[in-house]
Amino acid sequence: MGGKRKDNGSEGVEGEEDSKNSNKKMKKEKREILPSSIKNKEKRSAVHAKLKHQKKLDKRKKLKARDAAAKRALELGEEPPAKQIPRTIENAREADETVCMPDDEELFAGNDADEFSAILKQDRTPKILITTCRFNSTRGPAFINELLSVIPNAHYYKRGTYDLKKIVEYANNKEFTSIVVVHTNRREPDALLVIGLPDGPTAHFKLSSLVLRKDIKNHGNPTSHEPELVLNNFTTRLGHRIGRLIQSLFPQSPNFRGRRVITFHNQRDFIFFRHHRYIFEAKETKQSDSKGKNVKDTKGEGISKEKVIARLQECGPRFTLKLVSLQHGTFDTKGGEYEWVHKPEMDTSRRRFFL
Amino acid sequence: MPRATTVDCPGCPPLRALTFDALGLIKVIEARGKGGGGVPKVVDRWGDPDASKGLVAASLIDRKIDPLLAVARKNGVIEILNPLNGELFFSVSDLSNDGVRPEDNAIVGLHLFRKQRLELASRSCILLACRTKGNASIKTIGMADTKAGSGAPKTWNVCASGNISFSEVDGSESYALFGGKGVEVNMWDLEQCTKIWTAKPPPPNSLGIFTPTWFTSATFLSKDDHRKVVAGTNNHQVRLYDLSAQRRPVISFDFRENPIKAVAEDPDGHTIYIGNGSGDLASVDIRTGKLLGCFLGKCSGSIRSIARHPELPVIASCGLDSYLRIWDIGTRQLLSSVFLKQHLSKVVFDTNFAEEEVKHDVADTATLDALSIDETVGETEKPPTKRKKSSSKENKEGKKKKKASSKEKDGTKKLKSKKDDFADGQVSDLEYTL
Repeated sequence: MGGKRKDNGSEGVEGEEDSKNSNKKMKKEKREILPSSIKNKEKRSAVHAKLKHQKKLDKRKKLKARDAAAKRALELGEEPPAKQIPRTIENAREADETVCMPDDEELFAGNDADEFSAILKQDRTPKILITTCRFNSTRGPAFINELLSVIPNAHYYKRGTYDLKKIVEYANNKEFTSIVVVHTNRREPDALLVIGLPDGPTAHFKLSSLVLRKDIKNHGNPTSHEPELVLNNFTTRLGHRIGRLIQSLFPQSPNFRGRRVITFHNQRDFIFFRHHRYIFEAKETKQSDSKGKNVKDTKGEGISKEKVIARLQECGPRFTLKLVSLQHGTFDTKGGEYEWVHKPEMDTSRRRFFL
Repeated sequence: MPRATTVDCPGCPPLRALTFDALGLIKVIEARGKGGGGVPKVVDRWGDPDASKGLVAASLIDRKIDPLLAVARKNGVIEILNPLNGELFFSVSDLSNDGVRPEDNAIVGLHLFRKQRLELASRSCILLACRTKGNASIKTIGMADTKAGSGAPKTWNVCASGNISFSEVDGSESYALFGGKGVEVNMWDLEQCTKIWTAKPPPPNSLGIFTPTWFTSATFLSKDDHRKVVAGTNNHQVRLYDLSAQRRPVISFDFRENPIKAVAEDPDGHTIYIGNGSGDLASVDIRTGKLLGCFLGKCSGSIRSIARHPELPVIASCGLDSYLRIWDIGTRQLLSSVFLKQHLSKVVFDTNFAEEEVKHDVADTATLDALSIDETVGETEKPPTKRKKSSSKENKEGKKKKKASSKEKDGTKKLKSKKDDFADGQVSDLEYTL
């Protein structure tokens, strides 16, 4: 014990009792032995279980302490201690130098010069050609029907046996602004090819998690008003370009009275598509506050403390897209140049995203 | 703990490169730092973002005294600039295209000749420009003259039909190479303007399939020998031609599945670097046709241009993913990458860059830039810009002093310097009229 005390003294551990010091040192030594280095299975599993139990107790203790501190602060009327922000992958996303900055004049100049600027400036109205791959079955046609109702001014043509390059030519002649090709694999739509015209970029998306309208509970029926478009989280330059590509599929003058919104939400390089109809309502419904049609007919005098919320009713399909490649010209896999193509060597970190 | 490896980017040796992009901007990237640890940064940006003036071709005369940079824009304008500070010497717009829009018959290849047939004092330069439809012309542009060319430009048609994709001039500057879609690689003697050699396509393969000719890029294999040529096709093939041997390719091999967009040669004469349409960069030993290795480094866009530094063992590649990447040749490792925000079309190295600490003096740069684009205004009396071994800032100061002195002794010279494009937005309006 004396020797140990001397050791502790030389290490310079701050003022605690000597016996506690020595105990702590012994515990430290034990903890330094990782369970994985013990060869004996029974002993190893025992040590591991003990470690886990210890961790659980520590965590519970911390949680209790935090709650107690918050409650005490509330009772005393002070502010509770700040809540800790949980670490998520989106929070910890690697800093990307390609993120669009708001004051970047090159970005705006590039936007003016790119292939979508004519449509986005309302010089051309979007006219979409939807077609499929050569063999189409089961869920494909149903999906196409829903797409036709979602995208205004969309026309469906059967594929036949035309080459996609020829289809691009025909579409250019008939003045379409984009082509959307739904590709089916194993009786399920699994890829979406969006080709901007006349010589715009070609984006190849992988489609997954498709839920058709009839499978959504309490779904609504979309109307034919022009939808509002919500594009979330397309931060990088590539994301911005894809966002503009999607924007060019829809008309630029949304009809707000129609209360129809289409959302493309980008998170971790997956783009989630949702289609809703919304209604604004006041929470303390003494006063009917909704726009347009409202079932309730109460006309009370409103107490001014109402919170306006928007209630959503989902209609239309629900699916997720992931960008596989973005090609600079129209569809030409063999002879074209790619602006962005996903390569496995790019996935160096779980916190790195490209859109 | 992150569950994946992170690729470290060691820095690159001190170098300077100029990149040209689709919005008409020229960006200067410099890397400073002793040893190999420099991080390249954009130090300058010349030009206004304007898509109709996108840069399609460029050529740099890389020498210590009086370096010149020629760029060709999408609207048919050829400009001669000073690569030290982006100062425009003059610009020529090509009016020889009657009826055809400049965008349809854009310039595909440009080359500034190093040897100047006229004396240095008049500071003229000779350019070879080749267009998509096949019109190639050698123009002499003299700074002292009021007209576009002091002599009649020599024009000839390289191909009867098809589109030209590239044009290259060899090290001795007496032979030029052209090729493109539907146009076989052909070599012309520039002194006599005659075609001395045309390639012959390889025989159709055993199935009888004959791929149409479409060359996307080519280069001479070595600076001294004009007889060996490497060309890349749209059909992901790389072919070596030897003029002294035969018209068919000597060696031909496939590389992945996208068109070969850029080929560059190594000064050692037997290695080439190829870049294709989906961002794969590789080095190949052309004597055997064997792939030496690929450059892995997250390049996800088509590589438009590869430049090999004449002295340092680095290559630079730029392309549609808006990055300029610098690679080490021996280890094939990515040394550094710079994000440049636009689709890049070409990169050139500026070798006469001595790395010393330069403080960017804002006032200095503001006064020196952007002469008026009027062709008739030249700088006849200004002595050629001497590139001292010291930094470019001192060079600019030297120029400023010379300008001040020339102001005093100049005759009827009127210079107007316009507002420059730098973000600091200083307007300097110097008018010298005497």
